[in-house]
Amino acid sequence: MVGALIDRLGRTVVSNVEYTVNVLFMVYLSFRAAVVDQAQGFRTVVSVISNQIYFTGWQAMPLMGILALATGSIVILQASVNLSLLGGQQMMGNLLVAIVVRELGPLMTALVVIARSGTAVASEIGNMRANREIEALESMGINPLSYIVFPRILGGVISVLCLSFYFTVIALVGGFLATKMIHDMPFAFYMSSLGQAFAAEDVWLFLVKNTFSGMMIFVICCFQGLQVKKSPTEVPVATTQAVVKSMIYVVCFNLIVTALFYMNQLMKLGVL
Amino acid sequence: MKIESLKFEGLNFSYEGQEYPLFENVDFDFPMNNLIWVKATHGSGRSSLLQILAGLQMPSKGKYLINDENVSEMSFEEFLPFRKQIGYAFDFGGLINNLSLLDNVTLPLLYHKTLSPEAARDRAVEYFTELDAKKYLNMRPAMVPGGMRKLTCLIRALIVHPQLLLLDDPSVGVSQETILKYFDIIMKLRTKGICSHVLINSFDDKMMNCLDHKEIFVDGGFIYQDLGEIQKKVVSL
Repeated sequence: MVGALIDRLGRTVVSNVEYTVNVLFMVYLSFRAAVVDQAQGFRTVVSVISNQIYFTGWQAMPLMGILALATGSIVILQASVNLSLLGGQQMMGNLLVAIVVRELGPLMTALVVIARSGTAVASEIGNMRANREIEALESMGINPLSYIVFPRILGGVISVLCLSFYFTVIALVGGFLATKMIHDMPFAFYMSSLGQAFAAEDVWLFLVKNTFSGMMIFVICCFQGLQVKKSPTEVPVATTQAVVKSMIYVVCFNLIVTALFYMNQLMKLGVL
Repeated sequence: MKIESLKFEGLNFSYEGQEYPLFENVDFDFPMNNLIWVKATHGSGRSSLLQILAGLQMPSKGKYLINDENVSEMSFEEFLPFRKQIGYAFDFGGLINNLSLLDNVTLPLLYHKTLSPEAARDRAVEYFTELDAKKYLNMRPAMVPGGMRKLTCLIRALIVHPQLLLLDDPSVGVSQETILKYFDIIMKLRTKGICSHVLINSFDDKMMNCLDHKEIFVDGGFIYQDLGEIQKKVVSL
């Protein structure tokens, strides 16, 4: 019983490591192809990147705005009510930075991008594969990794960074204004509390989490799309796997980064 | 880069999970400067043969040599100078769905900066006009008839003015009149030293009999230059 469990665990670990190595190899090949490919003009790459930013970033702004407003309002309301009961309203900024900037911003953005754009990228590339468009590009001497994968990863990372920033601003400022009628807190006090809570590490944490989450989403979705062999019936399977794997990788990554961040904080305080 | 010879040396090829190889230990020196009709039965590997020649499939064993250089050992970038001299028309599919037919055919010319956008457009318009297909130029593949998609694929293979032209079932879905006009363009180009080596997979005897061609035969995992070789093999078995 225990042996079988260990056996299954071992297999899962090995297959995940193998998967990660394959994905990383594709990333290396696509970046190498983008650098080595002399034919691919700057204009071609910029046009694909800008399309990706438009679909992933610009078109997601209304949805992100609504989500940010709702999330921000809920967190601010809960924080202000509970903190005033405990008499710790000065900690408002710290709590919001910890919850919204460090955790919810990157995570919510990643989940929305997976749902909207990750699925689109995986199914688009899967369909291109089934329709022999990838093969056609190769036959024309166009490297699919530099023409399709690289611009999508780059455009995706830029979009995720911008969307997460947008989410954070709307959640913190819009959320405050939305809850203004229910609780009475001066805006100046709120902003100064936020300002005091921000630290340089928050900027680093924000950049690391969003950059790598964006990269993981688009790398995994492109990889799964390219796994389609010949048949269009493989496309929904590839898309589902892209969503599931992206979510698992992004959530685990966020968890690990947060854990390392707080371990570092505790070490600075001399607790660890 | 001039393509001077195409050879297979001990070439094996099979698809993933396939029990028997499609090609087994094939040694073959392709006749050059000819229009070659690849004759075979269904499923004997004629499309795969063209895909190997186009560098889209790699042999599982043995060598595919262009100008005595082994293609299997080349990276994408190393094969690129040869690839730019090869035009390949798919038997089905292969058009980029989010591009218009014009953008589809001019893509290789613009990507490799072979021609200016105006010159590429002019060349595309010229071929589409000659083949009575000009009205479809700005439509996307999903909006045009199947025959038109096939014709666009054929034009895209030709538009780069390759030295080696590989056509997989070119007449399927295309009218006899149009396909003969297409071959007229090829013949004109051949007089200028373009499309020197043409390989055609087809079951269309009527079309092929209108063309001055040589034949090669794909059968039982081997490639032969004349039927006598197959008969000899059968007798020896």
